[in-house]
Amino acid sequence: MSTDVIDSIEIVDLSKSYGNIQVLRGLSLRVAAGEVYGLLGPNGVGKSTLLHLMIGFLKPTSGSLRVLGSSRPDTVRAQIGYIPERQRYHTRYTPREYLRFIGEFSGMRGADLISRVEQELDAVGLDADADRMMGTFSKGMLQRVGVAQALLCDPALLLIDEPTSGLDPGGQREVIDLLASLRDRGHTVFLCTHYLHEIEQLCDRVGVLTGGQIAVEARVSDLRAPGGSVLIEVDSISTELRGSLEAISRGVSCGTRTVRIVQNTPQTQAMVLRRLLDAGAAIIALEPLESPLEQLYVRAVRGLAFDSPAGPPAAPAPEAAPSRRPAEGDTLLNELLRRGGSQDSAPGATNAEPAAGDREQGTA
Amino acid sequence: MRILRFTGFTLLEYLRSGRVALEIVATLVVYFVFLRRVGLGMNAEYFFSVTGVYTPALTLYSTAAFIGIGDRPQGYVLLSRGLSRASYLLGIFLSSLVIVAGSYGLLSIMAALFNRPPDLDLAGWLLGTLPLLLNVGLLSALMIMLSPLVFATGWRLFVLGLIALAFSSNFIGGTVLESLPEVVRTLLRAVQAILGGPLVPAFYGFQLAVTRDYSTGTAVANLFAQASLLISLLGLAIYSFSRRDLIFSQ
Repeated sequence: MSTDVIDSIEIVDLSKSYGNIQVLRGLSLRVAAGEVYGLLGPNGVGKSTLLHLMIGFLKPTSGSLRVLGSSRPDTVRAQIGYIPERQRYHTRYTPREYLRFIGEFSGMRGADLISRVEQELDAVGLDADADRMMGTFSKGMLQRVGVAQALLCDPALLLIDEPTSGLDPGGQREVIDLLASLRDRGHTVFLCTHYLHEIEQLCDRVGVLTGGQIAVEARVSDLRAPGGSVLIEVDSISTELRGSLEAISRGVSCGTRTVRIVQNTPQTQAMVLRRLLDAGAAIIALEPLESPLEQLYVRAVRGLAFDSPAGPPAAPAPEAAPSRRPAEGDTLLNELLRRGGSQDSAPGATNAEPAAGDREQGTA
Repeated sequence: MRILRFTGFTLLEYLRSGRVALEIVATLVVYFVFLRRVGLGMNAEYFFSVTGVYTPALTLYSTAAFIGIGDRPQGYVLLSRGLSRASYLLGIFLSSLVIVAGSYGLLSIMAALFNRPPDLDLAGWLLGTLPLLLNVGLLSALMIMLSPLVFATGWRLFVLGLIALAFSSNFIGGTVLESLPEVVRTLLRAVQAILGGPLVPAFYGFQLAVTRDYSTGTAVANLFAQASLLISLLGLAIYSFSRRDLIFSQ
């Protein structure tokens, strides 16, 4: 595996047009060796086009593109693994036959090829089905074949296009788990998707492609910081309680049975929960409305400005909330759990749990 | 070597798909209808006349089928590996050639076993087969070059227009041609002559297969012309395929 180059992908001012339709407009991007980069974007925005440019299927209209140090991606294809979006393979072959042919096309031969094929079949969990025709495979199994063929030559760079598109939830889970296991193998990964959870689970860094450019980039770890919005559902909210809650912060707004906290902080949430409990309201549910990644994505796609030059919305500062002890949230949650456990109604007991989970992730 | 492996890969898929049954059935039908000739006998000229028409017809079908196999999104995975675009295109070409040549071989074996032309020995068969298979290759290469995989629509229509002009003497001739103004007539004749030039080796190749007359230098020169034309068409197809955006039909 080549690790000589610092940036596995280096794109500067890249444009691509199909006739009069300009898909990419001056896109610039860098992906360091060993990094897992996720590219988000709506359907049809040019993610697959960018991937196909990187592997040399398409030619840029203008701009420069270097993949693994080469400005001609065709010449480094042997070091690139590619998993296409559509699970279309040559279904009249068994995975074992198919992988052997793919290996031969890549210049592998003999015992080395046979052992690599068996190794990858085992790695993707297809060893038991290795002699079945691929025409009988589910989409999830075909996607595993796709992963195996991409890994066969131990590539330095993996280009993955919409890996779970069209898969059922079980198939999606399988593929995400499989891709997560690739992180340990040290490949540089460039993943195109429109599923936020794939980015959250798999990537080090994320970029949002819109309008033919990378509108914003962020470290996924930064997006796990607090700052999301939450919705608290209760049995009822009196007019007096509503006034009391909305006085806490401008980010708090109430309906007849719901409290919405925008740009939530642990302090604001603790105060809201405290006042709800003090007023005797029964809390039915507490759930995040949007994750920071979702906010980032939505703002990028809608062309809205970001709070910080780095792109992602900064964790909001506490507003009018008075300072509280850091352990306030914990205390309240414990109280909620205790109350829920002592109440007759089951919802109170169960619905407090997501709040704890959310808080651990820093969103609530 | 990778070209041959890809050819094997494509052929195996074709065989497993069962589509090869059509070629086998068509070959059997041609044999029983045209070559069995119970009580009539058969000479070499008749054999090559029939196969000289049948093999190009079969080439149209088989090459179209292989172009269909090649022009699928499955090709992205293959081409993302070490297989070059040239190998990919040549693999498709060789696959169709193998199927047509195989059908011709089957026809020849059946004729040799059950109704052998008395004036045809192995050497004569080889001399007739060579220009015939070169014609098959020419037609296959032309089809691959004109496929959506290789030529963009504009270029495809342009080349088809040139081919139509080359053949236009069949329908723009005689009284129609005489009714045209002198300048147009001269120009059209010149264009027909120039564009018809590349067709000469193919037609003469058919004649050569039937007569197997290699007594003049023209025959050998024609074989070179056929081979040169074949290489030119394949070269042009590979050049165009290597330069264009790779977008397979969905």
